[in-house]
Amino acid sequence: MTRILAVCGLAALAAAAPALAQQTGVGNPAATPAGTPERAPGMPAAHEPNDADRIFAREVLIGGRAEVMFGKLAGERAHGTAVKQFAERMVQEHTRAGDELMNLAKAADVPIPEGLDRDHRTIQGELDKLNGAAFDDAYIRGQITDHQQTAQLLEFEIGSGQDPALMQFAVRALPVVMRHLQIAQTIATETEGVASRIMPSEKHPGKQEPASNGGAPPAQ
Amino acid sequence: MAAFTRCLLLAAGLLVLSLAAVADQLPPQLTYRALPTRPFDAVRTADEAEKPAVEQRQRAVLEERYDLSDRPIPSVMMSGGRKSVQGGARVKLPQGVTWDSLAQMSPDEIRRSNLFPAGFLPLPHVKQATGGQVFPNNQIDEIAKQENRNLRRFDVDFDLPERFTPEFPPPIFLSSHPELGDVSRGQLLTIKNYYALMVGLITPVQMEGLRLLLTPFPQEEFNQTEDRKSADQSLGVTCLDCHSNFNTNAAFHQTPDVRPQAARFRLDTVSLRGLFNQQIHGSKRSLRSVEDFSEFEQRTAYFNGDQMSAQRKGVNLPERHDQTAMMAQMQNIIDFPPAPKLDPLNRLDPNKATAEELAGERVFMGKGQCAACHVPATAFMDNNMHDLKLDRFYPVGATVNGLVIIPEGPIKTFTLRGIKDTPPYLHDGRLLTLADCVEFFNVVLSLKLTQDEKNDLVAYMLTL
Repeated sequence: MTRILAVCGLAALAAAAPALAQQTGVGNPAATPAGTPERAPGMPAAHEPNDADRIFAREVLIGGRAEVMFGKLAGERAHGTAVKQFAERMVQEHTRAGDELMNLAKAADVPIPEGLDRDHRTIQGELDKLNGAAFDDAYIRGQITDHQQTAQLLEFEIGSGQDPALMQFAVRALPVVMRHLQIAQTIATETEGVASRIMPSEKHPGKQEPASNGGAPPAQ
Repeated sequence: MAAFTRCLLLAAGLLVLSLAAVADQLPPQLTYRALPTRPFDAVRTADEAEKPAVEQRQRAVLEERYDLSDRPIPSVMMSGGRKSVQGGARVKLPQGVTWDSLAQMSPDEIRRSNLFPAGFLPLPHVKQATGGQVFPNNQIDEIAKQENRNLRRFDVDFDLPERFTPEFPPPIFLSSHPELGDVSRGQLLTIKNYYALMVGLITPVQMEGLRLLLTPFPQEEFNQTEDRKSADQSLGVTCLDCHSNFNTNAAFHQTPDVRPQAARFRLDTVSLRGLFNQQIHGSKRSLRSVEDFSEFEQRTAYFNGDQMSAQRKGVNLPERHDQTAMMAQMQNIIDFPPAPKLDPLNRLDPNKATAEELAGERVFMGKGQCAACHVPATAFMDNNMHDLKLDRFYPVGATVNGLVIIPEGPIKTFTLRGIKDTPPYLHDGRLLTLADCVEFFNVVLSLKLTQDEKNDLVAYMLTL
């Protein structure tokens, strides 16, 4: 079931791409690096990233890689069914999204980071030591933080990026990441009693929600 | 034993949590304004080249959301008698639903079916990534004429049709002289004419406050540096460039209280009428006095809540014990427009109001639940902030013309006195008419009002 939903979500995400091309605004040219080649006055040529694009690609590529690694670990270690399903979904969706971002980053000649950064390596080391409910708790709480950070980075790219392909990737990915965050929060609510903005019944991982269609804005 | 194990588990979890909390520190550009990287001329050339596409994109958003046609309510004028009030619900419905059928659905149903009308969603700035203050043409033209000061940007124009903005210039009513009525003489208060218009009517302290409110100071888009959006080196903007004649001209900006830039929602300028009754200021900040607000606007409306940028471009910090106090004292004598059908407790006088208006007041106080926050006796405010929880109706994280739509959280209650004078409505101006407001709250609060009740509510609000 989770697999089907995940695949549907990605298919819809891809289908929504052309319509969403209109959704990113042009940035403030004051932040465009001097000497950037332009295809027309005011319009940077394709694959001409700025600093925001580079920072965004690096952070999100590393973060996505960590999602997949931690998700695989959770697939083996997780105690609760909901956590296992969530981890499986993270592996599938972040693998797919990571591949897409990697291709866009390569096309824009953005440096591709290797492995994990120091902070994610530390988390990996800590998760390695845990089992059972303690693992679930640490994994889900870590996922909440990681998805909070990723959401902010995607918003940063939407507002400050320059490469249209990377910006549109961020537009498509943001609703999906928000949905992941909601699901992780729901699990934390159900298993740990963490306070959540939405009632668990409204956003149970098993239920289809519009956000998983790639977040096409309603009637826009 | 179980409890002990649980403690151990929690301790282990917290260890990882604390590590996770420091992981992936976000880059500072999410919080701080980047310094410009290019010479002014290159930026201006690029901005001017982009402008037609920028304008077209926003026009498409507006046309998709709203019926922008000219449909004034017959014989209803704004308080200065110079401009009609537009009528009818202008937000367009998604295909396959009516206002009534939508109001019958639960928030979950509306969200799952993607049926929340686009016009009920936050309204993007014309150019979200750049943002900043955008003035309507009437203000730009009048300031150019009177002061030879330029408020026009080369990168964006004002977006809403003039029929959905307040009358210009708006009348001025003084709480210290109710008997005089409008004292504006049909003019826009500026640094050129303020003394001639107001001497004899206000106190020396108020006069000095007024002068400060009309004195231009550097602002993020209007200043001397290469990081500006006016063609000429600008003297800056004044408080009343947005709050024209202490009302509003619908100039817009972005909230200074949210980052990153893409998530900063639009702000429609609020009227300063009746400020004497307002206990909290700023749609998100809940500042507790007019003095605080007058002081801090130099950091916020002027510089987006970025004190670093303010320092670079030339911030003006009014002296707290003297200048700020005088600015506040001037603002605090600005009254609402007269509402002759209201009694001293702001309830309709049954001898003066029509049957429809009285019916509207009953809905307002009862089934419509309007008075839960818009309390008549306290100038139709409750001096609180409320979260309408609109994210019950839409999936979070969509992007509309560069604006990322996230829940806006608590926003302060605005007064409804003089409400017909201050379109567009809601903190970001997403609702163009009072009928739109009725449909909005009918859905958001699940009120299930009849068409008669909706019409009555609009008739009632026109009396305020």
